Amino acid sequence: MTTALDLAPAVLLVGYLLVTFDYGLTFFSRTEPRVRPSVGLISVWSLHLVYLVLLGQEHDQFPATTVSQALTLVGFTLAAVYLLLEWYNGDRSTGFWTMIQVSGFQALAIVLRGPVPPRSTLFGEPLFGAHVFLALLGYAAFAVAASYGFLFLSLYSELKGRRFALFYGRLPPLEVLERMMTAALVVGFVALTGSVLTGGFWMHREEHQLVWNKDPMILLTGFTWALYGCALVLRRARQWRGRQTAIASLAGLGIIVGSLLVVRLMLPGFHLVPG
Amino acid sequence: MSEPSPGLGSDETGLLVVGVDFHSAELELREQVALSGHEAESALLEIMAHPEIAEAALLSTCNRTEVYLSARERQKAFRVALDLFARNAPEIDEEGCFFVLHDREAARRLLSVAAGLESMVLGEPEILGQVRDAAALAEKVGSSGPILDRLFRQAATAGKRSRRETGIGEGAISLGYASVELSRQIFDELESRSLLIVGAGETADLVARALHDRGNDRIRFVNRSDERAEAFQERFPIAERVPWDDLVEAVTESDTVVTTTSAPEPILDLPTLKTVMRARRARPLLLVDLGVPRNVDGAAAGLENLFLHDLDSLQSLVDRNLDRRRQEIPRVEGIVTEELQRFDEWQRAREAQPLVARLHRRAEEIRRQEVASVQDRFPSELHEELEIVTRALVRKILHHPSHQLRRGSREGGRARLDLARQLFQLEEEESAEEQES
Repeated sequence: MTTALDLAPAVLLVGYLLVTFDYGLTFFSRTEPRVRPSVGLISVWSLHLVYLVLLGQEHDQFPATTVSQALTLVGFTLAAVYLLLEWYNGDRSTGFWTMIQVSGFQALAIVLRGPVPPRSTLFGEPLFGAHVFLALLGYAAFAVAASYGFLFLSLYSELKGRRFALFYGRLPPLEVLERMMTAALVVGFVALTGSVLTGGFWMHREEHQLVWNKDPMILLTGFTWALYGCALVLRRARQWRGRQTAIASLAGLGIIVGSLLVVRLMLPGFHLVPG
Repeated sequence: MSEPSPGLGSDETGLLVVGVDFHSAELELREQVALSGHEAESALLEIMAHPEIAEAALLSTCNRTEVYLSARERQKAFRVALDLFARNAPEIDEEGCFFVLHDREAARRLLSVAAGLESMVLGEPEILGQVRDAAALAEKVGSSGPILDRLFRQAATAGKRSRRETGIGEGAISLGYASVELSRQIFDELESRSLLIVGAGETADLVARALHDRGNDRIRFVNRSDERAEAFQERFPIAERVPWDDLVEAVTESDTVVTTTSAPEPILDLPTLKTVMRARRARPLLLVDLGVPRNVDGAAAGLENLFLHDLDSLQSLVDRNLDRRRQEIPRVEGIVTEELQRFDEWQRAREAQPLVARLHRRAEEIRRQEVASVQDRFPSELHEELEIVTRALVRKILHHPSHQLRRGSREGGRARLDLARQLFQLEEEESAEEQES
């Protein structure tokens, strides 16, 4: 079992690279049919799911205790969000841009692999595992939304500037990109809401003496939640269109990444909670 | 070019194409030799009255008239085709006014035509349908036969594959379709989007036709002159006319607006378009200005969610698409060569067929003789069984050699056919058949 689990990250990386190549062909050659089931991605993603389940069973805890595990989990959630969007919109011409990120996270997970620490009571808690998973899913969805924001702005600028370059003719219409971006934002917001609720419930149940307004990660999560919540409300109330939403998505991701880096520098872990 | 090409022997049989296209002749001459459906039907019947022609098909479009012949006597067949052209255009014999290709090159020609490589507008889609129509007409008239039937089917496959597997047919290459292509990059479900055409002239026609072809029936138009508006509406009854005074309101309600007037001043200025965009509440608007001089104030290009394109930007889009199509030519040529090889293989396999039939006839003859010589030694109730057993024996013995002959021929092994002739003494039978015929 251990040998199989040791080999799995490399196998997954090869699988994701092949899927990236396939999506790249669709994007660059423009001759493949845009709508067809992503059998390759579904297969690799299912394998990834099995790997994570086995990894959790092997160490009897949620598989996010090391940087490597967290990174592979991020790749997994990114792929999950993309699959959901592709199924929702039936367009596979944008997959290349998400699959590059997925492959990148999986490659980093291999490079930064280290020994798994002894079982932590914190990560052994199912509720805490759900909290971490939902948080990662939320952030992954925001990253996917930012990718679509980037694609939207690129195509928008080509169309406005009357330049028919890399993105023109290869991407779906602006309206479809906007729809996929908004769907990713909604998925991210719902997942992050779930993460906040499960985290709060777990803290309350465990009677942790954590003061929420002093924990940078809780503050960051709350801020991110409010930021994206506002963006979604403004979109509806002020009738924001694609361009504003795309800028907000990219700015939101920038704030998240920047804040995470700061938190990582300030704290040994993500929370002040002892693990 | 009154003399046939040097490869045309006087008594050779084979495939032949004689044609006039935009490379070989000016429009005036092409118009003279072009044939309508009814004329093409009569021409085919006339061609088939000549015994030196075994099969014939005629492809006549706005840019080409080509006669495909399976000839028994190539030289005479060529004259028949040329006379057909010369009837309406006596000057056809002038140098370079027509082309002649034979055998493999004639077959390649049809495959290339179907793939869109020989079209004036590279990769245009209509030609594939026209090739199919030509095959259907030949079949209807009865001028088609196994060779041309197979060749036209192979050409249809080459045409379909080229468009499916390469980008030869991708991207708009006319201003009307380029406007549609731009819309497709902004709006989803273009069919349900509202389009406004400003003007009712020739350019408006092109745009309306392009949109109508793409399944968009929500077309509205505005025009100052009633006379031109009525003429436009006659050509496009689905288009709804909007009064000129309601122009700004109509622009506000539409998703795509195409202006095609020759008004000396812009009909949509910056303040008007600012008002329009405010009223649209950030809903995107595609504004295609095909007017000369321009109908829309260029400063409006800076307004958010307004995509303004003019003749120059559409022309650059068309040029880019044409360039991309040109880049696909080697891939399409590869497909044409593959399909041509399949046609060649089929023709070679066809060559083996008479030999295989002769081999079976010869074996059957020997079997009958042998059965007849020994039949009396068997009781009469076993005669039928003897027939069955010997027939099965011959069939089984000949199964593999027959298969190998067909295969060898397909793969270009003429030597194998010659060897079979010698081994089974089929040459005598062949010469006897020739004498009979």
